[in-house]
Amino acid sequence: MRPGHRSSFIIVAMAALALLCAAAAASPGGLCAEEWRQAASQRQWSFPRDHGSHGEYRTEWWYFTGNLRGNDGKRYGYQLTFFRYGLATKPKQPENPWSVRDIYLAHFAVTDIGKGTFRYRDIVSRKGPGLAAAKEGRMDVRVLNWSAVMSSGRIELRADHEGTELSVHLTPMKPLALHGAGGLSKKGPAPGQASYYYSFTNLKTEGTIKTPDMVAPASVRGTSWFDQEFGSNQLAKDQAGWDWFALHLSDGRDLMVYYLRKKDGTVEKESSGTLVERDGTSRSLRLAEIEMKVLSYWTSKKSSGRYPAAWRIRIPSAAIDITASALVANQELFTTASTGITYWEGAVGGRGTSNGNEVALEGYVELTGYAGALGGVF
Amino acid sequence: MKGVVRSFLRYLVRRKSLSILQLLGIAFGVAAVVGMTLASRSALQGLGNAVDFLRGGATHTLERPAGPMEERVLASLMADPAVKHFAPVIDRKVRLEGWEQVRFLGVDPFLDRDVRSITARIGSSGKDNVREEAFSSFLFDPRAVLVDENLARNMRLSPGSTLQTSQGPFRVVHVFPNPSGEPLVIIDIGHAQELFRMKGYIDRADLVVTDEEAFRGRWATGFRLESGRQHALTLSALLGAFKLNLQALSLFALFVGVFLIYNTAMFAVVSRRRDAGVLLSIGASRGQIAAAFLIEVLILGAAGGVLGGVLGFLLSGFLVKIVGNTISTLYFFLRPEALPWSFWNLAGGVLLGTAASIIGSMPSLIELRRIQPVLVLRGRTASRGASKRARAIAVSGAFCLAAAAGLFSLSFLHVYVGFAGAFAFLLGSSLFAGFIIILCTPAAKYIFSRVMGLSGKIAVGNIRENLGRTSVAVAAFMIALSMSIGLGSMIDSFRSSLLWWMDSQLRGDLYISTKGDVNVPEELYEELKGIRGIGGIDVFRSVPMTFRGRPASITSIDASVLQRYDRFGWFEGGGENWEAVKRGSVVISESFSRRFNVKKGDVVTIEGADGPVGLHVTGIYYDYASEHGVVMMDRSTYLGLFRDRTINSLGIFIDESGADHARIIEEVKQRARSYNLPFATREEFHKRILHIFDSTFAVTRSMRILAVIVAFFGMAGALMTLFVERRKEFGIFRALGFTTGDVARMTVAESLGMGLISFFMSTVVGTVFAVILIKVINLQSFNWTIFYHFSAGPYAVTALTALAASLAAAAYPVWSVLRKYPVMQIREE
Amino acid sequence: MGPVMIRTYDLWKQYEDEGHDGMALRGINLEIKKGQIVTLFGKSGSGKTTLLNLIAGLDVPTKGRVEIDGRDIEALGEAGRTLLRRNKLGFVFQFFNLLPTLTALENIMLSLELAGMNDKRPALEALEHVGLAGKEGRFPHELSGGEQQRVAIARALVKKPPVILADEPTGNLDSATGTQILDLLVKRCRDNEATLIMVSHALNTCEYADRVLRMIDGRIVEERSCEDLAR
Repeated sequence: MRPGHRSSFIIVAMAALALLCAAAAASPGGLCAEEWRQAASQRQWSFPRDHGSHGEYRTEWWYFTGNLRGNDGKRYGYQLTFFRYGLATKPKQPENPWSVRDIYLAHFAVTDIGKGTFRYRDIVSRKGPGLAAAKEGRMDVRVLNWSAVMSSGRIELRADHEGTELSVHLTPMKPLALHGAGGLSKKGPAPGQASYYYSFTNLKTEGTIKTPDMVAPASVRGTSWFDQEFGSNQLAKDQAGWDWFALHLSDGRDLMVYYLRKKDGTVEKESSGTLVERDGTSRSLRLAEIEMKVLSYWTSKKSSGRYPAAWRIRIPSAAIDITASALVANQELFTTASTGITYWEGAVGGRGTSNGNEVALEGYVELTGYAGALGGVF
Repeated sequence: MKGVVRSFLRYLVRRKSLSILQLLGIAFGVAAVVGMTLASRSALQGLGNAVDFLRGGATHTLERPAGPMEERVLASLMADPAVKHFAPVIDRKVRLEGWEQVRFLGVDPFLDRDVRSITARIGSSGKDNVREEAFSSFLFDPRAVLVDENLARNMRLSPGSTLQTSQGPFRVVHVFPNPSGEPLVIIDIGHAQELFRMKGYIDRADLVVTDEEAFRGRWATGFRLESGRQHALTLSALLGAFKLNLQALSLFALFVGVFLIYNTAMFAVVSRRRDAGVLLSIGASRGQIAAAFLIEVLILGAAGGVLGGVLGFLLSGFLVKIVGNTISTLYFFLRPEALPWSFWNLAGGVLLGTAASIIGSMPSLIELRRIQPVLVLRGRTASRGASKRARAIAVSGAFCLAAAAGLFSLSFLHVYVGFAGAFAFLLGSSLFAGFIIILCTPAAKYIFSRVMGLSGKIAVGNIRENLGRTSVAVAAFMIALSMSIGLGSMIDSFRSSLLWWMDSQLRGDLYISTKGDVNVPEELYEELKGIRGIGGIDVFRSVPMTFRGRPASITSIDASVLQRYDRFGWFEGGGENWEAVKRGSVVISESFSRRFNVKKGDVVTIEGADGPVGLHVTGIYYDYASEHGVVMMDRSTYLGLFRDRTINSLGIFIDESGADHARIIEEVKQRARSYNLPFATREEFHKRILHIFDSTFAVTRSMRILAVIVAFFGMAGALMTLFVERRKEFGIFRALGFTTGDVARMTVAESLGMGLISFFMSTVVGTVFAVILIKVINLQSFNWTIFYHFSAGPYAVTALTALAASLAAAAYPVWSVLRKYPVMQIREE
Repeated sequence: MGPVMIRTYDLWKQYEDEGHDGMALRGINLEIKKGQIVTLFGKSGSGKTTLLNLIAGLDVPTKGRVEIDGRDIEALGEAGRTLLRRNKLGFVFQFFNLLPTLTALENIMLSLELAGMNDKRPALEALEHVGLAGKEGRFPHELSGGEQQRVAIARALVKKPPVILADEPTGNLDSATGTQILDLLVKRCRDNEATLIMVSHALNTCEYADRVLRMIDGRIVEERSCEDLAR
């Protein structure tokens, strides 16, 4: 996944807030007359400091997805995402915690693959008196009682909603991968259309998961994927949506691919991917290196959106030829409380060959812009 | 049977004017009840809607026992596993220009949308740029507010308009739908904190709780957790006495209405008596005659009911405003909408009209069934044994009064018992009407023959001779006049008690911020303490509380200041009570003592910020500020108990020795102005309280007028019947040489005579009724003592009413006499 | 003459609120045969009307009993007495006592309806018999006194009752009209073979009667002739 595309996601979500700035700028209060720092040049990364919040940039998110398995072999998928969106570089009343600088959003979804159920919830809050925060200097992000906190190199995730609960800790099994050019991920042809973007592509995951059907939480283990991205730029107006893949191959290779779809049906040239080898070394994949074909579709009854549901992906330069399909057809989210957009993000599985060997795969796919509405907001 | 019914019903057509009067009598009686019922129902429904709308999906509210709650509590709520959703709320009142106070709600739009729908729509994504801008303004502009559609309509507001308030101007950024009638202004919670000077605090949290029991266990100490049901109960308890009053008033109206119908039925029986005899003689059964009569009464009742239903509906539009004003003044803002027209108004009116008709005509029916055809066919009327009967009825009246006395002595059981006693008293008194007429006859004859000559003398004779009819008319009119005197005297007594109370308790020279919407910053208090010449400042704070499951309130004051300057009216104990109050004891209001049966020396347990605390009651004082009861304590005690430093208002007492009275007042005013706080001198403050008091009794006053209108129709009906019945006599008068003028005078004299006797009776009955209202009803429903205070006003007003009604009631018969007299003959039909 | 139609046994009646001892009847024993026309004379307050009302079952005797057509009317009960009045008795009053709200025809029809007949023809016929054809739609106040009394007679006779009770039927009429009414009443009774008891204080009534009775202070004295009566 490339910066700019997730950020556009936020901007869609925050269009309401962003737009007001245009009007507010004219008002005497000068609400939005602030300057956000741009992701213009390569960054001097420093971890764990850079796992924390970068408040000088307008948008930022911490994105966790994972494929888990219970002791009894039952399979689950989860998504837990935290967003920070800056509405002002400084709060009007710094001493009042209700005075808004950023707003924090979070999406949480759990897929019970065996039962074919999908549950999700989105929340939003301002900082308030301890209601939400993203600390600077280390990863400590909270929106209400959902949180992602890193300590001693281990990330704790917690979220619950109406009987759906997640409590896991994640341990990186590979070093972090910087996307694009040393973590500066260009998202469009114009200068400054970029963001800072890195991932932990392989996190060993242990903990418990619970769906409302269960009496008690079940122990699970598996693999998670983590993205962090921040920047201050806007999504181009001609974009319609994107397809994003984060896949773990059973031979230890991790693959990230995204396609940025334009309204005219073509694919944005800056679309690309990253391949992380078993030993942790990574390389960028150009659009030309990737071949993708949609094998089947699923139509949402609720939104009428027609989503791809199975794909064949070939990357000849890396000797990868795989098919992937949704493990549960309906993993569609309506984020009415927070971002207000409808998208599909779900666990996928499949098989194929890598370097000539038979491999199985699992991972997560995100599909946006299929249920209408998205383009109109820009 | 058909013929029998027909013979009766044709009377309705034949005696149109009488039928119309009877119809109007019933209609107004029904209208009073329907109107009052609709008004109070729409008020309560409006309240219910407002409460429901405000509560949204919240199952519970959490707040501190007194004063605001620290906002950091929210983080704990967030972590509580039983809390599904929580939303902080700052719930205040602000006075709008030209309006009462309206609710000003501070909310967090992010958290609130899980509880209420109000803020969910603003800022939701969509093409509506205006709405998006609205959301941003709402978050960033400290003067940006959302207003509900009703308020917007009434004040002609739209996004971009300015809302002028006692707290300065606000910018309307969005108008939201509000199905409840309560006007609502919404502001961001952060801005609300700045506005109401309560940084770090909220008023309460609205919660969606899944496991109440577990949650309750974790939040037992220092908090008040109220479920939606409890909240509704509390509100309903808050309005309990008020509701009861409305009910009682409409019942009184119905009582007069039933009386009128009895009146009407009685006349009908008198005029049907001979026909009934004829019918019996030609073979109609008594049952058939009774049925025919009942049908006639029912048709009148139903028609009157229909008319009453319509009139009542129209009346409710007017009453609902008064009721809404009263509730707004006393409890919380409510602008109830009159209920829309419904078929049930008619159905209810008909039901009421016919039911009242049946009850009211029962005695007449019984009389009809007992009719002796022999007597009636020989042209004798029942008046022959009337004086004997009048005595017998008076005896039963005496029993009724005894029953009333018995009920009063049991009224401590429930206020309804008191009401029953009041009804029994009125009924019993009314039964004396015939007896009183007999007693009054000699004196009245003397007076009227002196004043009006022969006509007057004959008129009094007529009243006496037609006792069966006149006594009922007098009874109905007397009851209406008594209610007028009773309610009037009660209000006057209450008013004078209130004046006494204000004069003893509210003796400050200047009061700052008594309007309830703005609190006084502590800085101002500190500043004022520095002004030389101020003898004392009473720091007033009042918070609602729940005591033994029922609403009450806690008031904190400065005991040493009050000890020095005020002269409390003590129910128990005296000025020495303040010494104990200064040391941590409390004094309670009379209403608190009666309501909860707490006596001097008892200990009241109050839920404080650190759990329950027992407080020693050192005295009981007279109070009319809250019928729910007040526990009053020194500010130091209060602060220790609740750690709530809020000040609602200040009472400034200037030192008597200081010569510079005016200058000090002016300086205090200046300081108050600099904080943008309203202030009032003692006189202004007292005047405002009286104004509130007067508006409270607007409903009572309008019901009083209605009762008199209803009685007027009864009176006019009675006269009409007398007139119709005695046409033959008019013929005889004519034969004897009476002029038209003589007969007209006689008619007026009859009316005046009945009016006079009614009024004479009502002065006694009304005074006793006032005492009953004061000593039984008020004491039971409001739990406070009103001191009976005689004032001539109600009597004078009622006398004028009686005079006017008597003259007006005579108008039509007189007109008929003038028109028909010349052709009248001595002739049977 | 035919069988006994009306019989009283030791009939006493005391009014509670009347003057003196209030004794209106003091032991009346009477036997009246079917088809007889009887006039009952007496001063005001002598008990004539009381006797009539007791015979009609409109009032209850203090002591004694009344039999009509061989049946004790007290034993009939209220419902039975109502039926009796409905089917076997007809009333004519001094003050006519028509129902003021009903027309002439309706007044007559009322009597029929109560007896369970809804046919208009007999009512119209009855009006014709009393010479009021064409005035069926008039209300009582639109008729003269004599006309009203004719309607009352038609009302009493329309259901062809075996007994007619008339209480001063001419008392409220001028003498010429009174005579006409008496002629009519007696003729109609004879035509119908009805027993007629007529209370009166007008001597000319005597001439129509088969029997003449006089009441003095609640007791009955049989008169042999109208001449005796005049004395």
